[in-house]
Amino acid sequence: MPTQDPQTVPPDETEKEQKQEEEEEEEDYMSMIIPEQTLPKRKETYTQRLLRQQREREASQPKPKAERLLHEAAQRDTALSTSLLSSPNAQKNKGLAMMAKMGFKPGVALGSKDNPHARLEPVGISIKEDRGGIGLDAEKKRKFNDEVEREGKRVRAEEGDYRERVRREREVVRLEGQIGAAMRVAESMAGEKEEVEMGVVEVGKKRTISTKPLKSVNILWRGLIRQREEKERDRRMRYDLQQSLSRHVNYDNDDEDAEDKRALGRDVVQHTLVEDLEEEDPELDAFSELDPAERLEKLVVHLRQEHNYCFWCKFTYPNKEFEGCPGLTEEEHD
Amino acid sequence: MADRRSEPEMPQAKRLRTGDMDPASNPYLAHHYEDEGNGYGSRNGGRNGGSTQTGLSGFKRHQTTAAQADVAENGPLNPFNNNPLSPRYFDILKTRKDLPVHKQRQEFLNMFQQTQILVFVGETGSGKTTQIPQFVLFDDLPHFNGKLVACTQPRRVAAMSVAQRVANEMDVKLGEEVGYSIRFEDVTGPKTILKYMTDGMLLREAMHDHNLTRYSCIILDEAHERTLATDILMGLLKEVALRRPDLKIVIMSATLDAQKFQRYFNDAPLLAVPGRTHPVEIFYTPEPERDYVEAALRTVLQIHANEPEGDILLFLTGEEEIEDACRKITLEADEMTREADAGPLKVYPLYGTLPPHQQQKIFEPAPPPTRKGGPPGRKVVVGTNIAETSLTIDGIVYVVDPGFSKQKVYNPRIRVESLLVSPISKASAQQRAGRAGRTRPGKCFRLYTEAAFKKELIEQTHPEILRSNLANTVLELKKLGIDDLVHFDLMDPPAPETLMRALEELNYLACLDDDGDLTALGKLASEFPLDPALAVMLISSPEFYCSNEILSLTALLSVPQVFVRPASAKKRADEMKALFAHPDGDQLTMLNVYHAFKGADAQADSKKWCREHFLSLRALQSADNVRQQLKRIMEKSELDLISTDFNDKNYYTNIRRALVAGFFMQVAKKDSSGKTYKTVKDDQSVLLHPSTVLQVDSEWVLYNEFVLTTKNYVRTVTSIKPEWLLDIAPTYYDISTFKKGEIRTALERVNDKVKRKQQTKRPGR
Repeated sequence: MPTQDPQTVPPDETEKEQKQEEEEEEEDYMSMIIPEQTLPKRKETYTQRLLRQQREREASQPKPKAERLLHEAAQRDTALSTSLLSSPNAQKNKGLAMMAKMGFKPGVALGSKDNPHARLEPVGISIKEDRGGIGLDAEKKRKFNDEVEREGKRVRAEEGDYRERVRREREVVRLEGQIGAAMRVAESMAGEKEEVEMGVVEVGKKRTISTKPLKSVNILWRGLIRQREEKERDRRMRYDLQQSLSRHVNYDNDDEDAEDKRALGRDVVQHTLVEDLEEEDPELDAFSELDPAERLEKLVVHLRQEHNYCFWCKFTYPNKEFEGCPGLTEEEHD
Repeated sequence: MADRRSEPEMPQAKRLRTGDMDPASNPYLAHHYEDEGNGYGSRNGGRNGGSTQTGLSGFKRHQTTAAQADVAENGPLNPFNNNPLSPRYFDILKTRKDLPVHKQRQEFLNMFQQTQILVFVGETGSGKTTQIPQFVLFDDLPHFNGKLVACTQPRRVAAMSVAQRVANEMDVKLGEEVGYSIRFEDVTGPKTILKYMTDGMLLREAMHDHNLTRYSCIILDEAHERTLATDILMGLLKEVALRRPDLKIVIMSATLDAQKFQRYFNDAPLLAVPGRTHPVEIFYTPEPERDYVEAALRTVLQIHANEPEGDILLFLTGEEEIEDACRKITLEADEMTREADAGPLKVYPLYGTLPPHQQQKIFEPAPPPTRKGGPPGRKVVVGTNIAETSLTIDGIVYVVDPGFSKQKVYNPRIRVESLLVSPISKASAQQRAGRAGRTRPGKCFRLYTEAAFKKELIEQTHPEILRSNLANTVLELKKLGIDDLVHFDLMDPPAPETLMRALEELNYLACLDDDGDLTALGKLASEFPLDPALAVMLISSPEFYCSNEILSLTALLSVPQVFVRPASAKKRADEMKALFAHPDGDQLTMLNVYHAFKGADAQADSKKWCREHFLSLRALQSADNVRQQLKRIMEKSELDLISTDFNDKNYYTNIRRALVAGFFMQVAKKDSSGKTYKTVKDDQSVLLHPSTVLQVDSEWVLYNEFVLTTKNYVRTVTSIKPEWLLDIAPTYYDISTFKKGEIRTALERVNDKVKRKQQTKRPGR
């Protein structure tokens, strides 16, 4: 490598310097532009100025009394809880210097060294703000704490309740589902049995509306039939409604004669509903009142007795022995 | 700073002089007490010389028995002065022999003779304050070797009244064999052998006579009250006892926690005498009270309506509260008498600043029934905790105790000494209850729950030394020759920070040099029975050509408030005050009041004048008295009394500048917000007390006291100029020591201004 002339500066360095200069210039340039940028501020509009002045007034205005009091008290408390010995100015304190000369060591109390009760901290100050009797503040605090605790307990208790309720609701929904399933099984098995007994096999015929009066259906699954029929009725009514010209399906006008009725399409017998549906069914109502678990149990028992079918095994056993079935309840089938 | 208005006796009492003594009793000469030939000793010797036979002639010092003393007491001549004894003497003697302490006289003598320091516990009513000093006289025989027995009392009133009582008991004239010595009053004579005095007085004497050589026995009474002076005296006596084996010391306490005293005095023996007290039934409230004053009034009226005969003592916290309660009780009781056939009720207030003749009224008997056979009359005393131990009121059967008292507090961290309403201690509560059992079984109604009593009240009230600014005390201790303040064996040493603050303050006031030694100014300041700041202000006032005015002002600041503002006539009182108002502040206003008071108009009928102008005659007279005493000390110290011509424009400015010389550490500057002030160096937000006459636009103020309430107030303020601070107190106002902030910036600006002025002046010269 050639020896470098000490006078000459490496080119890259000069470049750097130049760059720096440029940057500085740029900065200068930038800094010159800043006041320009502030120029528009001076030209604030009248309302802007008003707003600004108001802001400034608010800022310089004394704080509200309550806030000031709090501030004062906070300042006082800070001062009261800060030891003078640990303050940064303590080293310069002449009082402390004199004490040091007398043999004082920070952290050691004054007086005879045999005095274990000598204070290290000054006696605190507490300011009484009202005429409350002795123990009132403590009592208030205690009551407040009690209240907080009670509230906490209540919330927790409610939380527990909620969980329990949700759990119970879910259980009911689950049981109702199983009841529905059991009812369907029971119904179809009963139907099959009946058909077998009657020797009629109508394959493919879909049962829509039972011709049997509702009350003759076994109470265990009568609810299912009734529900189905109600659903069917509603469906038909909706259908009829859509078919009819008049929106007022049930509106019978005495002035209308047969002709009118025909014209309006009302002569068609719309009420093909099972009359049973209109009737009260206290037996069913009483059954529905029962606990879902109880209804389910009754259905399960019915299926076992009548059809040798275990609802939980989903299997029709050949005889009443129920060989291999663990038992009557769902738990036993877990 | 110090609320010297509400408790004027104590702070000053500490630093009193014995008044003018004849050279023979000059304590400086008393150092030579051992020399039989000195004037002091021989004079006493002459009085009781061998030629005269007295009832005590055969007695040998420290060998007296109770039987011998009894014989001597039975006369027929007074054993101390050979005068015939009066019939009254024998009457009193009979009652004295019934006092509980009398039964243990021999026991006391045995212990007293065997030990140097004895702790004596006598419950209230045992007779210790009056009898023990007499027991000591018969054994110590101070007059045989020219000595005295001293018995200290925390309160001036107690010292006076007990001395009078004991003079009667001994059948001597007060001021002769038995005397008393309190602030500004020395009722003793050359014959005096028993001196009752305030603890502060004895401390002041010790400042000139470190070994207390005048005394052969010192009895510290009511030591359980733990006043500042008593605590310092105990520390001092512990040292003196080593230097003077001949000195006997008796520490008397009314409470049973005397083991603490025993331990402190190197396991001194203890003698306890039961008090003559009756059982007191204590009642608590089931629930804490919402308003203790209201509850107290209700309780008093209930007692009056339902309880059998017996007087009531109610403890409240301060003058205003007490006067208000008295008014309300009187109103209600009058109605009860009119409408519910209750007995008549007489209500008496009792607090420290009450004039003595009014204090005496509490001893008046209860009023008689309004008609013959009607319900009995009753008296109610509504008092501060003075009624707790020191004053005994006979006939009290019911005590109502809300559990509060006004206590002095001091915290070195914010340099505030203030009186605050605080819960009492368990010991105090027991003491209060005990007041009900003086004459017969009584009842004490505590207006708090039993649980609160157990949990909320501290065991013992903090001794005064832990609740006081010790600047004064440090000056005294230095004067007492105690150099190592750090290891000075106090019973309850204060927090290190408290001592640090005191030393620092004294250093700023130039009373102590950087080594902690007394300066000339400090020595001079300790001669005055004043706070160091006041003393320094007074001493430097001649430099400001206003020592006359500052002397008056110092006196005014040492007495209770001169302005009276009754609740019924606040407006009128304020109008009257405005007549004296000086726009530059309250101190100058007070001075105007004093000058007007000393004017011919006012002096013609000062009582009427004061009443018309809503001023306290007692406070002004007391200020006059204090001024006289201080003037005497100034003259003795060769301080000139000068005044600026009243017509000079600098008349008031000079006074304000002189104020700065003492109070430069109590300055506040207005905040940028313009509403509050901030104390210099401590940075506490404060408001000017509403009572001030000062116009609000003063940027810098100097204050006499910092009042702690829910708001921080500075009271008695004067506006000052910041230039003066830099000029008069340059060490304290060394700008580099200030925290960055408004105050520092302001001071820097002032400093620059001053410098510029000086520079512009120079070329002009």
